[in-house]
Amino acid sequence: MAEREAAGWSRRDFFGGAALFALAVGIPAAVAQYADLDPSDEPSDRQRAMIAGVSQLVIPRTDTAGAGDVGVGDFVILALAHGLEGSRAPVAADAMPNLASFQRRDGSLRHLDWLEMQLDQRASGDFQKADAGRRIAALRALDGEAFAEGVRAHPWRTIKGLILTGYYTSEVGGSKELNYELVPGRWDPDLPLTPAMHAYSSDWTAVDFG
Amino acid sequence: MAGEAMQFDAIVVGSGITGGWAAKELTEAGLRVLLVERGRNIRHQQDYDTETKAPWEMPFRGIGDTARYRQDYPVQMLNRHFTEFTEGHFVNDRENPYTTAPGTDFTWFRSYQLGGRSLTWGRQSYRWSDYDFGANKRDGHGTDWPIRYADLAPWYDHVESFIGVSGAAEGLKQLPDGKFQPPMALNVVEQHVRGVLAEKFPGRCLTIGRTANLTEAKPDEGRAQCQYRSICARGCSYGAYFSTQSSTLPAAQKTGRLTLVTDAVVEKIDYDPATRRVTGVRWIDTATNRRRSASARIVFLNAGAFNSVHLLLNSASEAMPHGLANESGVLGTHIMDHANTLSAMAIMPGFEAHTTFGNRPTGVIVPRYRNMDVMDGAGHTRGFSFQGGALQSTWTAGKREPGIGADYKAKLRQVGPWKMVLVGFADCVPRATNRLTLDSTKTDDRGIPQLKVAFAFGKEEQAALAQAKADAAEMLTAAGGHVILGFDRPGPGGTAIHEMGGARMGWDPATSVLNRFSQAHAISNLFVTDGAQMSSSACQNPSLTYMALTARACNYAVEQLRAGKL
Repeated sequence: MAEREAAGWSRRDFFGGAALFALAVGIPAAVAQYADLDPSDEPSDRQRAMIAGVSQLVIPRTDTAGAGDVGVGDFVILALAHGLEGSRAPVAADAMPNLASFQRRDGSLRHLDWLEMQLDQRASGDFQKADAGRRIAALRALDGEAFAEGVRAHPWRTIKGLILTGYYTSEVGGSKELNYELVPGRWDPDLPLTPAMHAYSSDWTAVDFG
Repeated sequence: MAGEAMQFDAIVVGSGITGGWAAKELTEAGLRVLLVERGRNIRHQQDYDTETKAPWEMPFRGIGDTARYRQDYPVQMLNRHFTEFTEGHFVNDRENPYTTAPGTDFTWFRSYQLGGRSLTWGRQSYRWSDYDFGANKRDGHGTDWPIRYADLAPWYDHVESFIGVSGAAEGLKQLPDGKFQPPMALNVVEQHVRGVLAEKFPGRCLTIGRTANLTEAKPDEGRAQCQYRSICARGCSYGAYFSTQSSTLPAAQKTGRLTLVTDAVVEKIDYDPATRRVTGVRWIDTATNRRRSASARIVFLNAGAFNSVHLLLNSASEAMPHGLANESGVLGTHIMDHANTLSAMAIMPGFEAHTTFGNRPTGVIVPRYRNMDVMDGAGHTRGFSFQGGALQSTWTAGKREPGIGADYKAKLRQVGPWKMVLVGFADCVPRATNRLTLDSTKTDDRGIPQLKVAFAFGKEEQAALAQAKADAAEMLTAAGGHVILGFDRPGPGGTAIHEMGGARMGWDPATSVLNRFSQAHAISNLFVTDGAQMSSSACQNPSLTYMALTARACNYAVEQLRAGKL
């Protein structure tokens, strides 16, 4: 813990970061404080920067803000610590090479440690310091492997799923990038669909079964 | 309230779908009624705390803290409607344990609060037909229902008119029409599939779900029409779906004859062997841990099927050593739940230029068509039906797709392709081996023995779901769909959240608990009118039938009281 604090990352920092993030996206600070982290789940500064950057590579800034812009990295850290997207379920150590060394005692995976290793390896060096092209290529390679035919479960699928959740349930992702309508007030069973129309993040059935 | 026991004309245990109805009917008939609810008070409109929240206003974006749920809600979290928005409307499993027999996998979804599961229910409201009430007699499973459709039809009218059920009249023998508000419309894909079934599959009908959501306001009851949000389980301040809070409780309170007690776990029903009558109930005030009691001329049990049975079993006495109203020994037996599974999911091409607006709070239904006048079930004698609908995917589909970057983001911005889903619900055969007992080794924190569930589906349900899978694929393929998924094995018992039986109705006091008026055979002032009374399961949702049976039993009880027979 002391080493972590010396290295610049602490639970207080996470709260600080979460509070800033909360401010940015309009969550009351009291709500963000709910997001307690077990010390063993605290990421390093490098990991925190990495997951923010990776989020931004998955959902970049276009005419709306990207995932990194709206704090999805910190959401992924929180979500991994609390087991969202099945991230604290045991994984089979033999499912992929080099998984065992990233497993906790309960069989679940330390996803950020695993991702850090994967990306450094694919970038043939320090992923964080690689140029944009190499970073994108490394992430594309990992993504391609995770979604290759026959692959059912993969740690990157879990992380990517949380990045999407973090983004499309943020105010920007949910109501600027997509449409959000809490009270539609009517049901139109058949409307023309045009390419300019955006999907609804408030189509709860589609979110559940999409 | 402190000191001497309170006295009432009637006590109703449980404030959910049927308890609310019992309270309404009995108070409107002039009785002074005590309504006892084990959970907390939730006030209509004032206490639906998350109703208007957006995901970004929730600590865990509406998904919730999975780690905490694994500790406190390991069963409830398996319910699709259990989210960070709705967790306050579900029971804490850790604090309210139950046990299962070896080999039993039973997910018991519960809501312990004022309104019970009326706040979280799926609102599907279907009449049962004589195929259903005659099922046990026809194939010999279970015991014959002592009623038929004609006995219940006027009570279905009564209930539907009050709660408001939107739906389309189809003239089907197996799913009788009711007093409907205007139906919600099918979307373009569902309309297409309906046409294909009508053309190519005689006897099969796809129709809009009959749902207890208002398409016309009921201003005299303070209820507005549905706003097409489809977030009903958070609670609806519009009062647009039927719940105790929106509908029956205000009606009962309006009479001035209702006394409501919440945070009150009933542990026993008092029985007087000299008069062979129940005299009242005892409960634990969970706020103070003090024991309370009240007496009444009649008692209605509406605690939910399993909890009503639990209460009867736990009310054993010297005079009734095997449980109250259990002279037959069948109390707790023949419990059921619909066997259900995702029978087919198909991509539906050809509708790319179409979409919808709004969130319709119901899907569609394909009512039963097997084993009616012709026995054409493959290895089973009863029915299955489908519920589901057509939908377009959204951003969550991106979790299953490769891609990163601007193109990927642009793709997820688009409304996704159409899919159609059919979920099969199969009739569950009543079996003596599927039963509830008191666990002799485990009690809860209040010292009450835990309920133990023994349950398994059998070859009939397996065969029905196998045929449902094949039929669903055939129908969607005929409609131009590409089937990508389908299952034929039922989920764990309880998955359909239609657990019922355990205090079944029947002709013979030696083989059933209740008579044709939901009245205990040998205890004339005790009524059980929730799901516990069911003698068979049908394959359509049971709540409307529970409500109709409750209203009918209330009417009977009041008539008997007035005649001096109770």
